[in-house]
Amino acid sequence: MEHTSPFERIIRGVLIAAVLLFFLFPILWIFLMSFQTNEQVLRIPPSLFFSPTTINYTSLVTGKLQTAAGSLDLAFMRNLGNSVLLSSVSVALALVLGVPAAYAFARFKFPLSEDIAFTLLSFRFAPPLLVLLPLSLYFQAIGLDDTYIGLIWVYQLIALPLILWIVRGYFEDISPDIEYAYRIAGHSWLQTFTRIAIPLARPGIAAAGLLAFIFCWNNFVFALILASADKQPVTVGALAFVTASGIQYGQIAAAIVLSVTPTLALALFAQRYLVEGLSLGAVKG
Amino acid sequence: MSTTNEAALSLAGVDKIYALNSRKPVHAVQALDLDVRKGEIVALLGSSGCGKTSTLRMIAGFESVTRGSITLAGRRIETLAPARRGVAMAFEGYSLYPPLTVRDNIAFALKSARINATEVDKAVKEMAALVEIESILDRYPTSISGGQQQRASLARALVRPADLYLLDEPMGQLEPRLRALLRGRLKRLLNERGMTSIFVTHDQTEANALADRVAVMEGGVLQQMANQTELKERPANLYVATFIGEPPMNVFDAKVEIGERVRFIVKDGPALDFSATAFSQAARVAIARRARAVIGVRPHDIRLGAGDNAAKVVSNQWLGDQSHLALDVAGKLMVAVAFDQVNASRGEIMRYEVSSTKLHVFDADSGEAVSHGAEAA
Amino acid sequence: MAQIELRSLTKSYKTGKVLKGVSLVAEQGEIVCVFGPSGVGKTVLLRLIAGVEELDAGAIFLEGRDVTDAPPETRGVGIAFQNFALFPHMTAFDNIGSALTAHGASASIIKAKVEKVAALLKITHVLSHLPRALSNGQKQRTALARALAADPKIVLLDDPLRNVDAKLRYEMRLELPSLLRASGATVLYVTQDYKEAMAIGDRIAVLVDGRFEQIAAPPAIYRGPASVSVARLFGDPSINLIPIKPKATKDGAVCEIGGATVSLAEIHAATPGRSLLLGLRPESLNVSDQQAPDSFPVEVMAVTPLNEKTVLLLRTHDGQEIFASEAGVENETRQPGPAFARFDATRALVFDEASGARIEGRA
Repeated sequence: MEHTSPFERIIRGVLIAAVLLFFLFPILWIFLMSFQTNEQVLRIPPSLFFSPTTINYTSLVTGKLQTAAGSLDLAFMRNLGNSVLLSSVSVALALVLGVPAAYAFARFKFPLSEDIAFTLLSFRFAPPLLVLLPLSLYFQAIGLDDTYIGLIWVYQLIALPLILWIVRGYFEDISPDIEYAYRIAGHSWLQTFTRIAIPLARPGIAAAGLLAFIFCWNNFVFALILASADKQPVTVGALAFVTASGIQYGQIAAAIVLSVTPTLALALFAQRYLVEGLSLGAVKG
Repeated sequence: MSTTNEAALSLAGVDKIYALNSRKPVHAVQALDLDVRKGEIVALLGSSGCGKTSTLRMIAGFESVTRGSITLAGRRIETLAPARRGVAMAFEGYSLYPPLTVRDNIAFALKSARINATEVDKAVKEMAALVEIESILDRYPTSISGGQQQRASLARALVRPADLYLLDEPMGQLEPRLRALLRGRLKRLLNERGMTSIFVTHDQTEANALADRVAVMEGGVLQQMANQTELKERPANLYVATFIGEPPMNVFDAKVEIGERVRFIVKDGPALDFSATAFSQAARVAIARRARAVIGVRPHDIRLGAGDNAAKVVSNQWLGDQSHLALDVAGKLMVAVAFDQVNASRGEIMRYEVSSTKLHVFDADSGEAVSHGAEAA
Repeated sequence: MAQIELRSLTKSYKTGKVLKGVSLVAEQGEIVCVFGPSGVGKTVLLRLIAGVEELDAGAIFLEGRDVTDAPPETRGVGIAFQNFALFPHMTAFDNIGSALTAHGASASIIKAKVEKVAALLKITHVLSHLPRALSNGQKQRTALARALAADPKIVLLDDPLRNVDAKLRYEMRLELPSLLRASGATVLYVTQDYKEAMAIGDRIAVLVDGRFEQIAAPPAIYRGPASVSVARLFGDPSINLIPIKPKATKDGAVCEIGGATVSLAEIHAATPGRSLLLGLRPESLNVSDQQAPDSFPVEVMAVTPLNEKTVLLLRTHDGQEIFASEAGVENETRQPGPAFARFDATRALVFDEASGARIEGRA
């Protein structure tokens, strides 16, 4: 086991390369597509060699798309802004609500506590479409239809259970004695929560927040049904490229690259937290 | 006792080197020579990582020998499979076969040796009584406590005939009275039947109680192998001196002056002053070669309430059958033990005396023993 | 004035009643060791006093004040936990200082107090370290320093030496009493090591089966345990208990051990015929090759040196296994084989077999 022959090492390298290629190729292909015109994308046979163009990106940024059929208005930058707004406000709200709730579930055993916690988690199990129809009717009735507030509210279905369960596991891993020690030293319950529990659970909170952000960002169906064009995030906005005059592959690719970049950057930046937070908190909790 | 001088087990120049991938090799056991006489009980004693468990596992055959040879009952065994070495082993952890009852676990080796059922039954019962698990013989390993599993594992190892018995921390988890009882019974059994055995422990109380001789290991090196009295009275080096003994030996750095008198001067502390004739010629010569030395005295060897030196009492603790006094000597705590209750209160100045016959001298650099009592080491 | 007063505390969990009416009064500056086997509720008791667990019934008075329903931060006690419970994200300095920050002490006062207690516990050089960079011994000293930093009148120590190695534990056992005494605090010290309890406590409160079975100074408990269960918890090896049925004679009383007739002290004469347990500490048994008056025959089964004693496993002729211990290890002449044991009848303890209570005094 400790000794590996050169042959074994080569085999291992080849296998790893194959796996990497399999998973990374679509991303690479999209990236390449985003620098090609629709004609280049659709030529047969496809080729890795082409003269790159930034037309897709400029049209996304300027919001004007020139097609054979004429000029088309694009709301992509607005969509991107919506995504940022919806995801970050949703996660922030979920943290404000979820972290204290997670602490309560971790520290205090009250009647039905397990059931309530599980019910919250079970929101993640139900197919979103199941709730969407009634929800859209209710929202129309109470005027939350097509509002940011309404969307952020619904996004809690995504973010809150995640944060609750991951952070709860983290709080449970903190020895109660540590908190007792701080309280007995004369600090109030709230001080103990903010100065001991939260700092110690910080990796878990960061991981949960990040994960919730990514899930919110990637959500498609809630916004599709509940929001009109000017409130839609990028995931829904990308549908605009399916036009009467054909599918704008180049723009779709560029839009995907632009919309994936922030979450990817975030994930890479916080990779250590993510792995640590998810493996420790979630599994043990 | 049926101990003879014939070596039953002999390790010669045994090395164990763990060469893990991409790490520097670990020399777990270094050039170990160890002879165990037939019928003898030997303890391998040391802190964790000292090489004692590696040694045991090499003898059992769970670990390959990097260099050197192991001979058991006249056969070279270091390359044999564990099952063919003729050793029985009791494990520290949970090693019972889960699908078998405790009874069947203990009987397993005997049954596979096709010994007749009534004899097996008798042997199992006897061993179960010895380790106090008769009441759980028909239960399954998962339903009994850790301490019971440990005792069952011990019974399973002891019940079968073998050239050598290997016991890994045999009594780690037992409550004190039962442990004392099992120590006595086990020692009796091993002595009576002349069962050659090696057990590994980190607990010197256990080693002292059970073993005929104790092998003290540290850093993969055998420091000293001797009986309890010799380990205490003639420790080979400073490591053994301060490791063995509860409480351990008090040691101080001292300046040596030797002439008409032999004087050991402890900085900010006492000067121990002896007439030169209190030491043997050889001891004087050995001590005189050094300007500095480490001197040591066992807590039990300090005479209280007499002598030229005095120190402040930091604590005086009576434990029922002994008193432990801590004296402030040279900025350290010097511990003295008496077997009866001592009348001294905290803060009081107490006189004490260290006789030359109780003084240990070690080399200040190497820690090797120079003299014990008044005799050269 | 009593610094700590506990009045019939009870506490139950789903698994059963842990404390069944615990009462204790500890005076100013006293160190009381709460001692008992593991799982007996010692830690629960400390937590009740600290206020992090709620009691079912009873009352707790600290410094004369009823704190039964007071939240933990108002009780003003210092505490050290068995697992140290240091704050992992704070330096040793901040850990120790946390005892002072709650009451708005100025930075310079905190610094002065932390440094004073750190010097006392010899951890000045590691004050800037995070707990993970500390050795076990340093962690334990930091935890103690934190408990003492605010000069609390009441200090609760939950088996603080449990998780350090034997050498450190021994050293701390020698140092702790003077350290605690210097603080002037009233200390409740939980331990499950009888030697630690005897070494550190001014008094020992023996917790057995949810109650304090006996509260007394160490010598009084060792020599005069209130019951069999207390007697059993002290001594290494623990006390030998031999069932006897004394018979009255004209001089006093005798009993039979292993076929031999042995005299008992006069005080036990009043109980002829009753089933008793004779409690003999191993060190009070004398083993010899020679038969003597009042000795009984035994077989020395094994000789096991123990620390600075030699422990003999003896078997009486009716098959009971008992221990005798002799001071010193030089006794190499002692070998397994037949011998005679005797004891000083005035030092023997006698218990009622049914109730377990010790029978004392002249009846």
